[in-house]
Amino acid sequence: MKLNVIKQRSLWWTVSASIILAGIISMVISTATLGSPLRLGLDFVGGTRLQVELDCSKPGVCDKPIDITTVRQVMDERGLGGSSIQILGKQGNQKPGVTIRTKTLNESLRTQLLTSLSEKLGAFDPKTIQIDTVGPTLGRQLFISGMLAIILSFAGILIYLTFRFQFDYAFFAFIALFHDVFITVGIFSILGLLLPSVEIDSLFVVAILTIIGFSVNDTVVIYDRVREVIKEHPDMHIDQVVDDAVNQTLSRSINTTLTVLLTLFSIFLFGGETLKYFALCLIIGFTAGAYSSIFIASTLLAWWRERADKSQPPPAGKTIVADEA
Amino acid sequence: MQRQRLLLGLIVGLVILAIVVLLNNPIRQGLDLQGGAQLTIQVKTTEEIKQITPKELEAVLSVVEGRVNGLGVSEPVVQTVGSDQILVQLPGVNDPKEAERVLGGTAQLDFRKQKPGTEAQLGIEQQIKAGLLQKQEELRKTGDEKAIAENKAAIDRSNEAIAQLFEDVNLTGKNLKDAGYQPTQVSERWEVTLRFDAKGGEAFAQLTKDLAGTGRSIGIFVDKALISSPVVGPEFAQTGISGGSAVITGNFTAQSAKELAVQLRGGALPVPVEIVENRTVGATLGQDSIRRSIYAGVGGLTLVLVFMGVYYRLPGLIADLALVIYALLTLAVFALLGVTLTLPGIAGFILSIGMAVDANVLIFERTREEIRAGKTLYRSVESGFYRAFSSILDGNVTTVIACAALFWLGSGLVKGFALTLGLGVVLSMFTAITCTRTFMLLLVLGFPGLRQKPELFVPNPPKLVNS
Repeated sequence: MKLNVIKQRSLWWTVSASIILAGIISMVISTATLGSPLRLGLDFVGGTRLQVELDCSKPGVCDKPIDITTVRQVMDERGLGGSSIQILGKQGNQKPGVTIRTKTLNESLRTQLLTSLSEKLGAFDPKTIQIDTVGPTLGRQLFISGMLAIILSFAGILIYLTFRFQFDYAFFAFIALFHDVFITVGIFSILGLLLPSVEIDSLFVVAILTIIGFSVNDTVVIYDRVREVIKEHPDMHIDQVVDDAVNQTLSRSINTTLTVLLTLFSIFLFGGETLKYFALCLIIGFTAGAYSSIFIASTLLAWWRERADKSQPPPAGKTIVADEA
Repeated sequence: MQRQRLLLGLIVGLVILAIVVLLNNPIRQGLDLQGGAQLTIQVKTTEEIKQITPKELEAVLSVVEGRVNGLGVSEPVVQTVGSDQILVQLPGVNDPKEAERVLGGTAQLDFRKQKPGTEAQLGIEQQIKAGLLQKQEELRKTGDEKAIAENKAAIDRSNEAIAQLFEDVNLTGKNLKDAGYQPTQVSERWEVTLRFDAKGGEAFAQLTKDLAGTGRSIGIFVDKALISSPVVGPEFAQTGISGGSAVITGNFTAQSAKELAVQLRGGALPVPVEIVENRTVGATLGQDSIRRSIYAGVGGLTLVLVFMGVYYRLPGLIADLALVIYALLTLAVFALLGVTLTLPGIAGFILSIGMAVDANVLIFERTREEIRAGKTLYRSVESGFYRAFSSILDGNVTTVIACAALFWLGSGLVKGFALTLGLGVVLSMFTAITCTRTFMLLLVLGFPGLRQKPELFVPNPPKLVNS
């Protein structure tokens, strides 16, 4: 199989541009309707999430499914209307339960709420409870430190790459990186608009940082090869160099991504609720990363080098050649 | 060949060591896996105290520790986070409502006067309390929740009974400006120093004047529990201890004097605290998470092993062996370093398995290219390793940079992920470069027959003319 990346570069660029554009449109819509480009979760805006399951060992408790209107009624009585409520159906090991996301509740408000819910729905099993409360200030703090971590790793990677490669390589590896992050964030913005359960939490920031690390990894392997081919054939046209480099590393790019995706799909399918969207985010990001390394970073580099050669016929170099001749 | 044998010995030794380590040191599980409550307490600034210094944070920490110990939870963790937060972990607590109630308030320090005629009773009550506290320590080890709760109620009653023996003289932590500790002039004893404000100084002089020489004591209470009960010498019967400063002497070592001083400072500190984060996971839910992540881990690893074996043939199988060694070594390192395994931490580990494969893929692809180019098997393997190295290094360094940023700036859960992924990436360099390479070279050098069968390494190899 021989892939001709350079010839069809306008196709690759269009594909990327349209996905990114869709993401940006979604972020604009999201900002207008939800107040932020992505649906922010508990970790960043603060609030309380309660998850409880019924205690089925007590007689009669689990006989009928939980009625969402009963839960909503209790919430309204407590002045917590507008909270999001999700019923967990009975399936396999999972006992019937309910997840509630509401504003930050302190201990006494929470205990009161749990008592009144328990009166209406039946006894809860205390061993299956999950409580997450994040104060609004802490949420902002988590958000800021997450952003800082992203910026810091961007800077660290740019410095490392400039050190190891020439600056234009580093710059385009960086563009590819941005591309991957943007596509992932964009798709999650779209998902957030479509599904209320897709929220951005601390783990999302973790996922983005992991994508940053991996995406550069992919690009670096191809650039490494470009450098090597140039060294071996100094006279080859840059388009040919890039095409060769991409093709020589193609099976590696595909296989590495494939093995990582295998483990990620495993987490996505069996890893449980907490890690599901985390895995999904990585799946999207790594796929985008492989794509951008093969089709975007390579073609951009070729385009730039070609342009630089044309617009700047190296006069200095020619004189030297002339001198030698 | 000699070198490879040595390395093989080293690898086998490491694997045995890893298994021994894993059998003897179970990996610590985070609260999201074993079940429990984690509370983050924010220390707030006030008009008077505009910035929380490490000294103040230490004082608040001592108050929080005192309160947490009063809860009767086994193996609680209390530690400071950053410059103004305290993290409290309560394993096995399903609903931390009691903890939240107790931990939320500002500390309360009171100086009280012992009532006349209660000397004998105070001694008895203190002995009872000491007995109960000792029993509590023993009960914690057994984990019998019901007995712990009963004993805790008994301790509360005991504290109440002791408090009954003292009367209020309206001298509180507000009046205490500072507390410190210093060595005494005689012998190796230490003493605790107190400094009051003007109003406190007067009240303290009156209190000590009343008590001097009577044998009755000053009761120092933090959060309604008696922490110290010094008596006042008869020489102060005329004027009391005036001037607003005092020392408490006794059988203090440097350590115990410091503890009391920090407790006093904490009780006097007028900073409010607030619980800003509460993450609680029920025990059943935690077990469920463990089960699921084991499925995910085993599933992911199996898929990767099968893929490698099928696609890369003999080298793939070698890489599989190296991967299993990798998983063992990494888990052993977690156990040795005391890494607390959380759910994101497990995800980081599973992900690092995928990463560990990458180095092998890079090497094998290179080896295949070299074979196709007509090189001998041995040379292909060696140059495969040699030429893939720079790519492996670059890729791993960038991932480690991202992990470092996460570890430095992230919160608890995020840190766990960064640590497991980062450690995994570093170890994977070792297993890919050392284990895989040693095994490959041993095979290629040790079994000359293999050299006639390059199809074990690459589909449709070129015909080797002379090998």
